[in-house]
Amino acid sequence: MFNFLNEVKQNLKNPQGLDLNGFNIINLSGHLLYVEGHLGLVTLSKELISFKVKKSVIIVEGKDMILSELSDNTIKIVGQIKKVEQI
Amino acid sequence: MKLKNLTTFHICGLNQEKLLNELCKKFTLTDIDRHTKNSTSFKCSYFEHAKIEKTLKNSGVKIESVVHEGIAYKLSKIFTSYGLVAAIVVFVVLFALQNQYILQYDVIGQDKLSQLEIVDFVKERFSAKKSEIDTKQVETCLLDNFSGLSFASCIIKGQTLVINIKEKLLPQEMYGQFAPLVAQKDGKITQISLISGTLRVKVGDIVQKGDVLVEPYTIDTSGQLKKVEAKAQILAEVYNEGSVDHYETFIEVNRTGKTAVQDDIRLFGLSIYTFKEDMNFKMYEVEFEDIDLSKNFFLPFKMRKTIYYELQQKTIESKFEDVQDEYIAKAKAKALENCEDCDKIKEEFYTLRHLSGVTVVNFCIVTEEDVGGY
Repeated sequence: MFNFLNEVKQNLKNPQGLDLNGFNIINLSGHLLYVEGHLGLVTLSKELISFKVKKSVIIVEGKDMILSELSDNTIKIVGQIKKVEQI
Repeated sequence: MKLKNLTTFHICGLNQEKLLNELCKKFTLTDIDRHTKNSTSFKCSYFEHAKIEKTLKNSGVKIESVVHEGIAYKLSKIFTSYGLVAAIVVFVVLFALQNQYILQYDVIGQDKLSQLEIVDFVKERFSAKKSEIDTKQVETCLLDNFSGLSFASCIIKGQTLVINIKEKLLPQEMYGQFAPLVAQKDGKITQISLISGTLRVKVGDIVQKGDVLVEPYTIDTSGQLKKVEAKAQILAEVYNEGSVDHYETFIEVNRTGKTAVQDDIRLFGLSIYTFKEDMNFKMYEVEFEDIDLSKNFFLPFKMRKTIYYELQQKTIESKFEDVQDEYIAKAKAKALENCEDCDKIKEEFYTLRHLSGVTVVNFCIVTEEDVGGY
Protein backbone atom coordinates (compact mmCIF):
# COMPACT_ATOMS: atom_id res chain seq x y z
CA MET A 1 0.00 0.00 0.00
CA PHE A 2 1.21 3.48 -0.86
CA ASN A 3 2.30 5.43 2.25
CA PHE A 4 2.37 9.14 1.47
CA LEU A 5 4.37 10.23 4.53
CA ASN A 6 7.04 7.54 4.06
CA GLU A 7 7.39 8.61 0.41
CA VAL A 8 7.90 12.23 1.48
CA LYS A 9 10.53 11.19 4.06
CA GLN A 10 12.45 9.16 1.46
CA ASN A 11 12.37 11.96 -1.11
CA LEU A 12 13.76 14.46 1.43
CA LYS A 13 16.82 12.13 1.74
CA ASN A 14 17.44 13.68 5.17
CA PRO A 15 20.93 15.23 4.43
CA GLN A 16 21.45 16.33 8.00
CA GLY A 17 20.56 12.92 9.44
CA LEU A 18 17.63 14.24 11.45
CA ASP A 19 15.29 11.95 13.39
CA LEU A 20 12.11 11.91 11.26
CA ASN A 21 10.43 8.99 13.05
CA GLY A 22 8.92 11.02 15.90
CA PHE A 23 5.48 12.16 14.82
CA ASN A 24 3.54 13.37 11.80
CA ILE A 25 0.91 16.13 11.76
CA ILE A 26 -1.33 16.96 8.82
CA ASN A 27 -3.55 20.03 8.86
CA LEU A 28 -6.37 19.84 6.33
CA SER A 29 -7.58 23.38 5.50
CA GLY A 30 -7.66 24.36 9.16
CA HIS A 31 -10.66 22.13 9.80
CA LEU A 32 -9.10 18.78 10.49
CA LEU A 33 -5.80 17.95 12.14
CA TYR A 34 -4.46 14.44 11.89
CA VAL A 35 -1.63 13.37 14.20
CA GLU A 36 0.40 10.20 14.16
CA GLY A 37 2.76 9.22 16.95
CA HIS A 38 1.31 11.08 19.94
CA LEU A 39 2.36 10.00 23.40
CA GLY A 40 -0.64 11.11 25.39
CA LEU A 41 -3.15 13.87 25.82
CA VAL A 42 -2.20 16.78 28.07
CA THR A 43 -5.07 19.25 27.77
CA LEU A 44 -8.50 18.89 26.30
CA SER A 45 -10.99 21.71 25.82
CA LYS A 46 -12.98 23.22 22.98
CA GLU A 47 -10.41 26.01 22.55
CA LEU A 48 -7.15 24.22 23.40
CA ILE A 49 -5.91 20.72 22.87
CA SER A 50 -2.36 19.76 23.71
CA PHE A 51 -0.61 16.42 23.57
CA LYS A 52 2.82 15.01 24.07
CA VAL A 53 5.02 13.87 21.21
CA LYS A 54 8.60 12.65 21.22
CA LYS A 55 10.75 15.20 23.09
CA SER A 56 8.10 17.99 22.99
CA VAL A 57 4.46 19.01 23.38
CA ILE A 58 2.15 20.15 20.58
CA ILE A 59 -0.43 22.84 21.36
CA VAL A 60 -3.44 23.22 19.09
CA GLU A 61 -5.55 26.37 19.51
CA GLY A 62 -8.89 26.87 17.85
CA LYS A 63 -12.64 27.07 18.31
CA ASP A 64 -15.33 24.40 18.86
CA MET A 65 -12.76 21.66 18.63
CA ILE A 66 -13.51 18.07 19.44
CA LEU A 67 -11.37 14.98 19.38
CA SER A 68 -12.97 13.13 16.52
CA GLU A 69 -10.79 10.10 17.12
CA LEU A 70 -8.32 9.06 19.77
CA SER A 71 -6.37 5.85 19.62
CA ASP A 72 -3.09 4.56 20.98
CA ASN A 73 -1.09 6.25 18.21
CA THR A 74 -3.34 8.68 16.39
CA ILE A 75 -5.42 11.76 17.08
CA LYS A 76 -7.99 13.37 14.80
CA ILE A 77 -9.12 16.86 15.76
CA VAL A 78 -12.13 18.44 14.07
CA GLY A 79 -13.07 22.10 14.42
CA GLN A 80 -11.81 25.55 13.56
CA ILE A 81 -8.02 25.22 13.95
CA LYS A 82 -6.21 28.53 14.37
CA LYS A 83 -2.72 27.61 15.52
CA VAL A 84 -0.50 24.54 15.86
CA GLU A 85 2.57 25.09 17.96
CA GLN A 86 5.40 22.84 19.09
CA ILE A 87 7.07 23.67 22.39
CA MET B 1 -32.59 3.99 12.96
CA LYS B 2 -28.80 4.25 13.31
CA LEU B 3 -27.13 1.11 12.06
CA LYS B 4 -23.57 1.80 13.31
CA ASN B 5 -23.00 0.00 16.59
CA LEU B 6 -21.80 2.68 18.98
CA THR B 7 -22.03 3.45 22.68
CA THR B 8 -21.91 6.99 24.03
CA PHE B 9 -20.49 7.47 27.52
CA HIS B 10 -21.05 10.63 29.49
CA ILE B 11 -18.58 10.76 32.35
CA CYS B 12 -17.91 13.16 35.20
CA GLY B 13 -14.66 13.46 37.15
CA LEU B 14 -11.25 15.06 37.46
CA ASN B 15 -8.12 14.51 35.38
CA GLN B 16 -9.99 13.16 32.41
CA GLU B 17 -7.01 13.55 30.06
CA LYS B 18 -5.19 10.87 32.02
CA LEU B 19 -8.20 8.62 31.88
CA LEU B 20 -8.58 9.12 28.12
CA ASN B 21 -4.88 8.34 27.63
CA GLU B 22 -5.34 5.07 29.51
CA LEU B 23 -8.46 4.17 27.54
CA CYS B 24 -6.98 4.97 24.14
CA LYS B 25 -4.15 2.49 24.72
CA LYS B 26 -6.71 -0.36 24.54
CA PHE B 27 -9.67 1.10 22.68
CA THR B 28 -10.38 3.58 19.91
CA LEU B 29 -12.47 6.50 21.14
CA THR B 30 -14.38 8.84 18.85
CA ASP B 31 -16.27 12.15 19.12
CA ILE B 32 -14.60 13.12 22.40
CA ASP B 33 -16.30 16.33 23.49
CA ARG B 34 -15.37 18.17 26.67
CA HIS B 35 -18.49 20.00 27.77
CA THR B 36 -17.06 21.43 30.99
CA LYS B 37 -13.92 20.92 33.00
CA ASN B 38 -15.41 17.87 34.76
CA SER B 39 -17.78 16.62 32.10
CA THR B 40 -16.89 14.76 28.91
CA SER B 41 -18.71 12.55 26.46
CA PHE B 42 -17.18 10.10 24.04
CA LYS B 43 -18.18 7.26 21.79
CA CYS B 44 -16.74 3.80 21.40
CA SER B 45 -17.64 0.56 19.66
CA TYR B 46 -20.72 -1.09 21.13
CA PHE B 47 -18.83 -4.37 21.33
CA GLU B 48 -16.20 -2.80 23.65
CA HIS B 49 -18.57 -0.90 25.92
CA ALA B 50 -18.54 -3.50 28.68
CA LYS B 51 -14.75 -3.42 28.99
CA ILE B 52 -14.67 0.38 28.89
CA GLU B 53 -17.39 0.59 31.51
CA LYS B 54 -15.41 -1.74 33.74
CA THR B 55 -12.26 0.34 33.26
CA LEU B 56 -14.16 3.55 34.06
CA LYS B 57 -15.58 2.06 37.23
CA ASN B 58 -12.15 0.89 38.33
CA SER B 59 -10.81 4.41 37.74
CA GLY B 60 -13.40 5.86 40.10
CA VAL B 61 -15.03 8.04 37.45
CA LYS B 62 -18.72 8.72 37.72
CA ILE B 63 -20.62 7.51 34.66
CA GLU B 64 -23.49 9.92 34.08
CA SER B 65 -25.09 8.00 31.24
CA VAL B 66 -24.50 5.19 28.78
CA VAL B 67 -26.44 5.33 25.51
CA HIS B 68 -26.32 2.53 22.98
CA GLU B 69 -27.26 2.73 19.32
CA GLY B 70 -27.06 0.46 16.29
CA ILE B 71 -28.55 -2.75 15.01
CA ALA B 72 -26.52 -5.04 17.26
CA TYR B 73 -27.89 -3.29 20.36
CA LYS B 74 -31.47 -3.55 19.07
CA LEU B 75 -31.03 -7.26 18.40
CA SER B 76 -29.46 -7.91 21.77
CA LYS B 77 -32.30 -5.99 23.41
CA ILE B 78 -34.81 -8.25 21.71
CA PHE B 79 -32.98 -11.36 22.86
CA THR B 80 -32.77 -10.12 26.43
CA SER B 81 -36.49 -9.29 26.53
CA TYR B 82 -37.41 -12.51 28.27
CA GLY B 83 -41.18 -11.92 28.06
CA LEU B 84 -41.01 -11.50 24.31
CA VAL B 85 -38.68 -14.48 23.92
CA ALA B 86 -41.00 -16.59 26.09
CA ALA B 87 -44.02 -15.49 24.03
CA ILE B 88 -42.25 -16.39 20.78
CA VAL B 89 -41.21 -19.77 22.18
CA VAL B 90 -44.73 -20.50 23.45
CA PHE B 91 -46.19 -19.41 20.11
CA VAL B 92 -43.79 -21.60 18.16
CA VAL B 93 -44.48 -24.61 20.42
CA LEU B 94 -48.27 -24.14 20.28
CA PHE B 95 -48.20 -23.56 16.54
CA ALA B 96 -46.10 -26.67 16.02
CA LEU B 97 -48.45 -28.69 18.25
CA GLN B 98 -51.72 -27.54 16.76
CA ASN B 99 -50.33 -27.74 13.24
CA GLN B 100 -50.28 -31.51 13.64
CA TYR B 101 -54.07 -31.69 13.98
CA ILE B 102 -57.05 -31.24 11.69
CA LEU B 103 -59.05 -28.27 12.92
CA GLN B 104 -61.65 -27.96 10.19
CA TYR B 105 -63.65 -30.36 8.06
CA ASP B 106 -65.00 -29.19 4.73
CA VAL B 107 -67.49 -31.25 2.75
CA ILE B 108 -68.12 -30.39 -0.89
CA GLY B 109 -70.73 -31.79 -3.25
CA GLN B 110 -73.35 -33.08 -0.80
CA ASP B 111 -76.97 -32.68 -1.82
CA LYS B 112 -79.25 -35.06 0.03
CA LEU B 113 -76.71 -36.09 2.66
CA SER B 114 -76.06 -33.85 5.63
CA GLN B 115 -72.61 -32.29 5.97
CA LEU B 116 -72.82 -32.78 9.75
CA GLU B 117 -73.51 -36.48 9.31
CA ILE B 118 -70.39 -36.98 7.17
CA VAL B 119 -68.19 -34.84 9.42
CA ASP B 120 -69.41 -36.67 12.55
CA PHE B 121 -68.74 -40.01 10.87
CA VAL B 122 -65.17 -39.03 9.92
CA LYS B 123 -64.48 -37.52 13.36
CA GLU B 124 -65.73 -40.67 15.05
CA ARG B 125 -63.80 -43.12 12.90
CA PHE B 126 -60.51 -41.29 12.34
CA SER B 127 -58.03 -39.46 14.52
CA ALA B 128 -57.66 -35.70 14.20
CA LYS B 129 -53.88 -36.08 13.98
CA LYS B 130 -52.76 -35.41 10.44
CA SER B 131 -50.02 -38.03 10.47
CA GLU B 132 -52.52 -40.74 11.45
CA ILE B 133 -55.07 -39.98 8.75
CA ASP B 134 -54.87 -42.04 5.60
CA THR B 135 -56.98 -40.20 3.05
CA LYS B 136 -57.38 -43.32 0.91
CA GLN B 137 -58.81 -45.14 3.91
CA VAL B 138 -61.22 -42.26 4.61
CA GLU B 139 -62.45 -42.40 1.01
CA THR B 140 -62.98 -46.20 1.15
CA CYS B 141 -64.71 -45.98 4.52
CA LEU B 142 -67.08 -43.27 3.30
CA LEU B 143 -68.03 -45.26 0.20
CA ASP B 144 -68.59 -48.40 2.29
CA ASN B 145 -70.75 -46.73 4.90
CA PHE B 146 -72.77 -44.30 2.81
CA SER B 147 -74.68 -46.25 0.18
CA GLY B 148 -75.86 -43.02 -1.44
CA LEU B 149 -72.33 -42.05 -2.48
CA SER B 150 -70.92 -42.80 -5.90
CA PHE B 151 -67.58 -41.02 -5.43
CA ALA B 152 -65.49 -39.71 -2.53
CA SER B 153 -62.08 -38.07 -2.39
CA CYS B 154 -60.17 -36.57 0.53
CA ILE B 155 -57.20 -34.26 0.80
CA ILE B 156 -55.54 -32.53 3.72
CA LYS B 157 -55.06 -28.86 2.97
CA GLY B 158 -53.30 -27.03 5.78
CA GLN B 159 -55.36 -27.94 8.80
CA THR B 160 -58.53 -28.67 6.85
CA LEU B 161 -59.69 -32.09 5.72
CA VAL B 162 -61.48 -31.45 2.45
CA ILE B 163 -63.95 -34.20 1.54
CA ASN B 164 -65.33 -34.09 -1.98
CA ILE B 165 -68.30 -36.38 -2.59
CA LYS B 166 -70.78 -37.16 -5.35
CA GLU B 167 -74.13 -38.72 -4.59
CA LYS B 168 -75.82 -41.44 -6.65
CA LEU B 169 -78.57 -40.27 -8.97
CA LEU B 170 -81.87 -42.06 -8.19
CA PRO B 171 -85.14 -42.08 -10.19
CA GLN B 172 -87.41 -39.17 -9.35
CA GLU B 173 -89.93 -41.24 -7.40
CA MET B 174 -87.19 -42.76 -5.25
CA TYR B 175 -86.47 -39.45 -3.60
CA GLY B 176 -88.33 -38.22 -0.57
CA GLN B 177 -88.99 -39.03 3.03
CA PHE B 178 -90.71 -42.40 2.47
CA ALA B 179 -93.26 -41.46 5.10
CA PRO B 180 -96.94 -42.35 4.74
CA LEU B 181 -99.39 -39.68 3.63
CA VAL B 182 -101.74 -38.94 6.54
CA ALA B 183 -105.00 -37.00 6.77
CA GLN B 184 -104.57 -33.41 7.87
CA LYS B 185 -108.27 -33.00 8.80
CA ASP B 186 -111.39 -35.01 9.57
CA GLY B 187 -113.67 -35.56 6.58
CA LYS B 188 -115.42 -37.81 4.06
CA ILE B 189 -113.35 -38.73 1.01
CA THR B 190 -114.90 -37.69 -2.26
CA GLN B 191 -112.13 -38.00 -4.86
CA ILE B 192 -108.71 -39.72 -5.09
CA SER B 193 -105.88 -39.15 -7.58
CA LEU B 194 -102.96 -41.48 -6.71
CA ILE B 195 -99.50 -40.48 -7.97
CA SER B 196 -97.20 -42.93 -6.15
CA GLY B 197 -97.57 -45.32 -3.23
CA THR B 198 -100.30 -47.70 -2.08
CA LEU B 199 -103.78 -46.41 -1.21
CA ARG B 200 -105.28 -47.28 2.17
CA VAL B 201 -108.63 -45.52 1.71
CA LYS B 202 -111.38 -45.36 -0.89
CA VAL B 203 -114.01 -42.82 -1.91
CA GLY B 204 -116.77 -42.55 0.70
CA ASP B 205 -114.55 -43.43 3.66
CA ILE B 206 -114.70 -41.16 6.66
CA VAL B 207 -111.22 -40.37 7.95
CA GLN B 208 -109.95 -38.69 11.09
CA LYS B 209 -106.98 -36.40 11.35
CA GLY B 210 -103.81 -38.57 11.47
CA ASP B 211 -105.25 -41.59 9.61
CA VAL B 212 -102.93 -43.09 6.95
CA LEU B 213 -104.16 -42.34 3.43
CA VAL B 214 -101.27 -43.60 1.26
CA GLU B 215 -98.43 -45.99 2.25
CA PRO B 216 -94.89 -45.12 1.01
CA TYR B 217 -94.31 -48.33 -0.96
CA THR B 218 -95.58 -50.33 -3.92
CA ILE B 219 -95.70 -54.07 -4.41
CA ASP B 220 -94.78 -55.24 -7.87
CA THR B 221 -96.02 -58.33 -9.69
CA SER B 222 -93.32 -60.51 -8.16
CA GLY B 223 -94.55 -59.49 -4.67
CA GLN B 224 -91.49 -57.40 -3.87
CA LEU B 225 -91.99 -54.29 -1.80
CA LYS B 226 -90.38 -51.15 -3.21
CA LYS B 227 -90.07 -47.89 -1.29
CA VAL B 228 -91.49 -44.81 -3.03
CA GLU B 229 -92.65 -41.42 -1.91
CA ALA B 230 -96.31 -41.41 -0.94
CA LYS B 231 -98.02 -38.89 -3.23
CA ALA B 232 -101.72 -38.43 -3.93
CA GLN B 233 -104.39 -35.76 -4.24
CA ILE B 234 -107.21 -36.80 -1.93
CA LEU B 235 -110.22 -34.52 -1.74
CA ALA B 236 -112.70 -34.83 1.09
CA GLU B 237 -115.74 -33.10 2.49
CA VAL B 238 -114.57 -31.40 5.66
CA TYR B 239 -117.02 -30.28 8.35
CA ASN B 240 -115.86 -27.03 9.93
CA GLU B 241 -117.86 -26.21 13.04
CA GLY B 242 -118.31 -23.11 15.17
CA SER B 243 -120.29 -23.09 18.39
CA VAL B 244 -121.72 -20.28 20.56
CA ASP B 245 -123.74 -20.58 23.79
CA HIS B 246 -126.57 -18.21 24.66
CA TYR B 247 -127.72 -17.87 28.30
CA GLU B 248 -131.18 -16.46 29.03
CA THR B 249 -129.91 -15.00 32.31
CA PHE B 250 -126.34 -14.04 33.10
CA ILE B 251 -124.46 -11.69 35.39
CA GLU B 252 -122.43 -8.90 33.80
CA VAL B 253 -119.64 -7.25 35.80
CA ASN B 254 -118.49 -3.72 34.84
CA ARG B 255 -116.21 -1.03 36.26
CA THR B 256 -118.07 1.91 37.77
CA GLY B 257 -115.25 4.36 37.03
CA LYS B 258 -114.29 4.95 40.65
CA THR B 259 -110.68 4.23 41.53
CA ALA B 260 -108.43 4.32 44.57
CA VAL B 261 -104.64 4.49 44.40
CA GLN B 262 -102.09 2.96 46.74
CA ASP B 263 -98.37 3.89 46.52
CA ASP B 264 -95.87 1.57 48.09
CA ILE B 265 -92.16 2.49 48.19
CA ARG B 266 -89.95 -0.59 48.40
CA LEU B 267 -86.29 -1.42 48.82
CA PHE B 268 -85.08 -4.96 48.11
CA GLY B 269 -88.72 -6.11 48.12
CA LEU B 270 -89.45 -4.68 51.59
CA SER B 271 -92.09 -2.00 51.97
CA ILE B 272 -90.67 1.23 53.44
CA TYR B 273 -93.55 3.65 53.02
CA THR B 274 -97.18 3.12 52.06
CA PHE B 275 -99.84 5.64 51.11
CA LYS B 276 -103.37 4.45 50.45
CA GLU B 277 -106.47 6.46 49.64
CA ASP B 278 -109.68 5.74 51.52
CA MET B 279 -111.65 3.04 49.80
CA ASN B 280 -114.94 1.33 50.61
CA PHE B 281 -115.55 -0.68 47.47
CA LYS B 282 -117.65 -3.83 47.87
CA MET B 283 -116.23 -5.34 44.71
CA TYR B 284 -113.05 -4.31 42.99
CA GLU B 285 -110.26 -5.47 40.76
CA VAL B 286 -106.63 -4.49 41.08
CA GLU B 287 -103.89 -3.44 38.65
CA PHE B 288 -100.36 -2.53 39.67
CA GLU B 289 -97.07 -1.49 38.10
CA ASP B 290 -93.51 -1.21 39.49
CA ILE B 291 -91.58 2.01 38.79
CA ASP B 292 -87.80 2.44 39.39
CA LEU B 293 -87.19 5.52 41.50
CA SER B 294 -83.36 5.38 41.26
CA LYS B 295 -81.08 4.21 38.50
CA ASN B 296 -78.18 3.02 40.64
CA PHE B 297 -77.78 -0.58 41.71
CA PHE B 298 -76.72 0.16 45.27
CA LEU B 299 -80.07 1.43 46.51
CA PRO B 300 -82.71 0.26 44.03
CA PHE B 301 -85.76 2.12 45.34
CA LYS B 302 -88.95 1.08 43.61
CA MET B 303 -92.51 2.32 43.82
CA ARG B 304 -95.40 -0.06 43.37
CA LYS B 305 -98.47 1.84 42.21
CA THR B 306 -101.63 -0.15 42.86
CA ILE B 307 -104.96 0.99 41.38
CA TYR B 308 -108.23 -0.39 42.75
CA TYR B 309 -111.16 -0.25 40.31
CA GLU B 310 -114.67 -0.46 41.77
CA LEU B 311 -116.88 -3.05 40.11
CA GLN B 312 -120.63 -3.46 39.87
CA GLN B 313 -122.61 -6.44 38.75
CA LYS B 314 -126.01 -6.62 37.15
CA THR B 315 -128.19 -9.47 36.04
CA ILE B 316 -129.08 -9.38 32.37
CA GLU B 317 -131.95 -11.31 30.89
CA SER B 318 -132.37 -11.78 27.15
CA LYS B 319 -134.57 -13.95 25.01
CA PHE B 320 -132.79 -16.04 22.39
CA GLU B 321 -135.35 -15.17 19.73
CA ASP B 322 -134.37 -11.49 20.03
CA VAL B 323 -130.66 -12.13 19.42
CA GLN B 324 -130.81 -15.29 17.33
CA ASP B 325 -129.35 -13.75 14.17
CA GLU B 326 -126.47 -12.21 16.10
CA TYR B 327 -125.53 -15.55 17.71
CA ILE B 328 -125.82 -17.42 14.40
CA ALA B 329 -123.41 -14.87 12.85
CA LYS B 330 -120.99 -15.37 15.74
CA ALA B 331 -121.08 -19.14 15.30
CA LYS B 332 -120.52 -18.74 11.54
CA ALA B 333 -117.53 -16.51 12.13
CA LYS B 334 -116.05 -19.16 14.40
CA ALA B 335 -116.69 -21.86 11.82
CA LEU B 336 -115.02 -19.77 9.11
CA GLU B 337 -111.91 -19.49 11.27
CA ASN B 338 -111.47 -23.25 10.88
CA CYS B 339 -111.64 -23.27 7.10
CA GLU B 340 -109.09 -20.64 6.15
CA ASP B 341 -107.38 -22.82 3.55
CA CYS B 342 -110.52 -24.38 2.11
CA ASP B 343 -110.75 -24.76 -1.64
CA LYS B 344 -114.48 -24.75 -2.06
CA ILE B 345 -117.51 -24.26 0.24
CA LYS B 346 -120.08 -26.87 -0.65
CA GLU B 347 -122.75 -26.32 1.98
CA GLU B 348 -123.43 -24.47 5.22
CA PHE B 349 -126.09 -24.97 7.91
CA TYR B 350 -126.74 -24.43 11.59
CA THR B 351 -128.41 -26.33 14.41
CA LEU B 352 -129.91 -25.09 17.67
CA ARG B 353 -130.02 -27.05 20.92
CA HIS B 354 -132.20 -25.74 23.68
CA LEU B 355 -131.25 -26.82 27.20
CA SER B 356 -132.49 -25.41 30.51
CA GLY B 357 -131.74 -21.68 30.14
CA VAL B 358 -129.02 -22.25 27.54
CA THR B 359 -129.19 -22.37 23.78
CA VAL B 360 -126.24 -23.85 21.88
CA VAL B 361 -125.81 -22.58 18.32
CA ASN B 362 -123.75 -24.86 16.07
CA PHE B 363 -122.81 -23.59 12.63
CA CYS B 364 -121.31 -26.05 10.17
CA ILE B 365 -119.57 -25.20 6.89
CA VAL B 366 -118.93 -28.13 4.58
CA THR B 367 -115.87 -27.56 2.38
CA GLU B 368 -114.00 -29.65 -0.15
CA GLU B 369 -110.32 -29.83 0.71
CA ASP B 370 -107.23 -31.83 -0.08
CA VAL B 371 -106.81 -33.66 3.21
CA GLY B 372 -103.55 -35.28 2.09
CA GLY B 373 -101.82 -31.91 1.92
CA TYR B 374 -100.37 -32.60 -1.54
